[in-house]
Amino acid sequence: MTYKVTDEGDTSTVFLDGEIDMDKTEGAKEVIFPLIDAGKNVNLNLSNVQYMDSSGISVLIESHQKALEKGTKLIIKDVSKSVLKVIMMAKLEQILNLE
Amino acid sequence: MNTEVADPTNLSEKKDFLVRSSSLKDVRSFSREVFEKFKIDEDLREELVLAIAEAAQNIVKHAYKDYPDTQDRMAVRISCTGKELEIAFFDKGKPVEESKVKHRAIDDVKPGGLGTFFIQEIMDSIKFKEGDKPWINNLVLTKKL
Repeated sequence: MTYKVTDEGDTSTVFLDGEIDMDKTEGAKEVIFPLIDAGKNVNLNLSNVQYMDSSGISVLIESHQKALEKGTKLIIKDVSKSVLKVIMMAKLEQILNLE
Repeated sequence: MNTEVADPTNLSEKKDFLVRSSSLKDVRSFSREVFEKFKIDEDLREELVLAIAEAAQNIVKHAYKDYPDTQDRMAVRISCTGKELEIAFFDKGKPVEESKVKHRAIDDVKPGGLGTFFIQEIMDSIKFKEGDKPWINNLVLTKKL
């Protein structure tokens, strides 16, 4: 997994790519959590993430909940078809902010 | 990778992996390769890969919870009769207590506890067996094709 972060005002966009599994979740958290802790709104662009397992889904839930606690917003953008299928299997499409 | 092709309608492939989270990508690659060879429907393939990866992840996370640096290996065997797919996992970790294998309530949204739910959603049956020596655990998942 590699990532890129761009900033525009109080919003950071995190572009993740590759396959997000148990082995990659710590890396994803290390990128996303400090931005939320700093009070940023975070757009999480998953257009180049082709695979995500339950560990990756946990990162999405944890990030979403952390953003709610901090009064910021986490928006998950451009989800690939394969990852959307997993989000829907977890019945999270109405819980997470998907665009 | 070991291939047993005694009967073209009864295919079986088996491979072992070091019990580590870094092996999960190799488990997925092996599974994708086998499903392509077995000509499994493309829509179903990635769901099956997810179920396999979640089961392998459970071995790493739970059966070897206290042994992150183990040199033990786990094995995955994928067999196909044409009508049914059987996926078997073998490990030498802590014996699985089936009564403790539960997913979280799906409407109780919190991190964790989804791997077993995904496996249940994707597969038709899940059976925990005692492994034949040298294995301790043998998980068998099946899916009608």
